[in-house]
Amino acid sequence: MSEALIRPAEAAIRPMIIDADVHPWVNGDIAGLRKYLSRAWWEHFDGRQTLPNQWLRPPLARASSNRLDALPPGGGDAGSDPVFMKEEHLDKHDIAHAVLSSIQAGKLAALPNAGEALALATAFNEFFLNEFLSVDARYKLAMVVAAHDPAASAAEIRRLGPLPGVVAVFLPLLNIMMGNRHYYPIYEAAEEVGLPILIHPTGTEGGFPTSVAFAGGIPSTYIERHTNFPEIGISAINSLVFEGVFVRFPGLMLLAAEFGFSWLPHFLWRMDQNWHQFRKEVPWITQNPSQIVLDHVRFTSQPIEEPERPEYLDQILQMIHAERTLLFSTDYPHWDNDFPANTLTRLAPTLRQRIFFDNAAELFHLS
Amino acid sequence: MALHHVANLDELEEARAKIVSVNGRSIGIIKSKDRIYAVRNVCPHKSAPVCWGQVRGTLLPSDPSTFVFGLEDQVLQCPWHGWEFNLEGGSRLCGGRSRLTLYPVTCQDNAVFLEMR
Repeated sequence: MSEALIRPAEAAIRPMIIDADVHPWVNGDIAGLRKYLSRAWWEHFDGRQTLPNQWLRPPLARASSNRLDALPPGGGDAGSDPVFMKEEHLDKHDIAHAVLSSIQAGKLAALPNAGEALALATAFNEFFLNEFLSVDARYKLAMVVAAHDPAASAAEIRRLGPLPGVVAVFLPLLNIMMGNRHYYPIYEAAEEVGLPILIHPTGTEGGFPTSVAFAGGIPSTYIERHTNFPEIGISAINSLVFEGVFVRFPGLMLLAAEFGFSWLPHFLWRMDQNWHQFRKEVPWITQNPSQIVLDHVRFTSQPIEEPERPEYLDQILQMIHAERTLLFSTDYPHWDNDFPANTLTRLAPTLRQRIFFDNAAELFHLS
Repeated sequence: MALHHVANLDELEEARAKIVSVNGRSIGIIKSKDRIYAVRNVCPHKSAPVCWGQVRGTLLPSDPSTFVFGLEDQVLQCPWHGWEFNLEGGSRLCGGRSRLTLYPVTCQDNAVFLEMR
């Protein structure tokens, strides 16, 4: 008997999944974007074809964040072959939609030149629209913007945001807190076109004068850097909430991808406690800040935490209202990626459906 | 209900509580502009001596990055954790069920009385 006959019910109702965090790659960095840069910009870059990279790299093969077994058989780096990724990842794991955000584009936060950052942001966006989204409708794009120039970035959002397949605005973080009015043109445009802002570690954190800094100083190892990622998410959300960004832009949503989520209960309690004490400093906040976070912020699941006892994670999921706030993600093709078959396997079916599909469908307006 | 003589008007300092004991309870008698308040000297948050706090106005709910001053001389701010209470009614400015315990006050000539069971 075939497997389908032995287990017809399972074959019929295998749940679909939205993967909120997948990383495509452009072979050759800026060299790979040549087709999407004007001749003048190509001449301007004049041999500077490699994007800046953080010195602290993973102690893995090739000092790369990418898995060795995700290298495409036809050559190139992991994530660079949309056909291979389609078969190896989307088909294999029943991914209905994969939200692409470019770690390479995240390096724009390391560039001191706003013009270069803008030109590369447009090049990255057009590359992925043409080279990935055209290959498979399951690919969706978090278009990147260069926060160096918020007005120009807002124009880019209005230009590309309405296109089919563009589902979010990826904002590589500069050393200006996210709640600062510097960013308001970007938030206004994103709200207008109905796209959430997506933030994600880029590898530039703490490594460049222009990029976001870690609290406490400069880490000296990759393990410290990686362990510290939640700090960035915390400070970004803290700033957005208390500066009143979600009051000013009530339709705006934020996806904090790969900053973790187990720290969220403490953060919510502390925000509320402090608001009860310091309300008059931020009088535009008229409800518990935790409610603002639950209404406007979402989190991705990867890397899923591995506590001492599994029931601790269940408690965290309850505390953060995961049925609303948590989105499944793999982080393919990175070393610490999670996969559906062995991630959050103890969930009740209704909660699993929310986390593995519904929450992302609502955030990105997908069906 | 019994009336308790707790202060004389001419001894009360503006916006500075006179702390008295009535039936074993610590009460703050607060004169703010033309009003007299009798406030149980226990903050509903963590039992701080709330009547030691400042009586002032505050910044009202407003648009982001703007400030609107109001409730002048009407807000008691706890000296420990900064919780703000509207002396008119005792409610917390953050909302919620916690509130000050207030007692009815009457004045006759120079005498200030509060009502308590």
